[in-house]
Amino acid sequence: MTENVPAPEHLIESVLLVSARPVGPDDLSSATDLTPGEVEAALATLSERYSPENSGVVLRAVAGGYLFSTNPACSAAVERFREEARPTPLSGAAHEVLACALYLGPLTRGAISRVRGVNSDAVVRNLLERDLLAEVGADREAPGAPALLAVTDEFLAATDAASRDDFPPLDSLVSQEELDRVRERLTSREEIPAQAGPEAT
Amino acid sequence: MTFESAGRSLADFTVELDVYSGPYEWLLALILKDELEIFEVPLRELVDLYAGSRDPEAPNALDRDTDFAGSAAALILLKSRTLSPAVEPDAEGDDAVAVSPEELAERLQEYLKIRRASEDLRARFARAAGHYPSAHVVPPKPGRLRVAEDRVTLAARRAFSRLLEPPVRHLGPITVTLQELAGLIRTSLLRGPVSYEELTRNMDRLRSAVAFAAVLSLAQEGSVKLVQPEPLGALTLEPLETPG
Repeated sequence: MTENVPAPEHLIESVLLVSARPVGPDDLSSATDLTPGEVEAALATLSERYSPENSGVVLRAVAGGYLFSTNPACSAAVERFREEARPTPLSGAAHEVLACALYLGPLTRGAISRVRGVNSDAVVRNLLERDLLAEVGADREAPGAPALLAVTDEFLAATDAASRDDFPPLDSLVSQEELDRVRERLTSREEIPAQAGPEAT
Repeated sequence: MTFESAGRSLADFTVELDVYSGPYEWLLALILKDELEIFEVPLRELVDLYAGSRDPEAPNALDRDTDFAGSAAALILLKSRTLSPAVEPDAEGDDAVAVSPEELAERLQEYLKIRRASEDLRARFARAAGHYPSAHVVPPKPGRLRVAEDRVTLAARRAFSRLLEPPVRHLGPITVTLQELAGLIRTSLLRGPVSYEELTRNMDRLRSAVAFAAVLSLAQEGSVKLVQPEPLGALTLEPLETPG
């Protein structure tokens, strides 16, 4: 009787199928007893097989690992089957808080509110509940040692990012011209408001 | 701030917003309890919803309109107050710190960058929406999953090795049982309450310890009541059973 030895990509495929979270290459190697090289080669094969053009299931490289997800093109059918609507999109305030945590974090609730010019506690609470933000420590230097907030792996997966390096640098998002215009407008005024803040929605 | 003017005439008014779906009165409550940020509530959309649901022929139409106008005005006031620049007291307790144009410009520039970053995030969230992961929710165990044979051998050796038995020579032979002493206590109690000290006066340490265990056992089964007026004070045993 011949022993049925599964191919490396079959082993990787099986492990990824039963995980709801991204699985890193090290864990894939440990679970399957494959070498890092074999894991890498198998993932390359699987990426081709599970591309949006070839399959209803896609292999995504997110949050430092690999994750099987449904193809967004099939999302309507999935949502009908699961009888649940797509989660409500985040508000503008929530995106701003996440941007603060991503680019300036880990930082405290107070620091987020200072950047935005308004109290952001309610938005932070909502993002903590949605697992997009997490408390990762405390600012021991500040009175009361307030919690420090940072974005989570769930955030990276939800934004299709392999890591924080996938996001464009903050300074590249605004041109120097625009920044100069802001400075000009303010310094040319005689009366200065006390604090900056977001526009009303 | 209160929404006292919002009476129960709006109890049947429900709203469907991106950030909230449900009774209007609950929306007001959530805003007041800081569970929902006022910035996230589009007031114009709220007014449109009310206007769309309004029935001018309803008997309480005037009450509803008045209540809604009152609560909507309070929401506008709350939102405008929250949007007003915050006053930052300085370290010496002055009312406000004068912000230099340069400092303000820096803050606005930083905010502008965050604003742009948030727009970029919005686009990324939208592009990634519709990806549903596996329904299996069991997370992988943290750490390395490879089985190291030497560590398994060591763990097995520890698990199955026989523990050293503690020396018991100093205990001497057991010459008394709990039942014996329980019987002795019952007999003593036939004459009425007895103190523990009196009961164990002529006993050695072993018998004294077993007697105490017997006393607790009898107390637990309801034959004896233990009376100790103060912690670590004299202990008295009182019979609870009616002597037959």
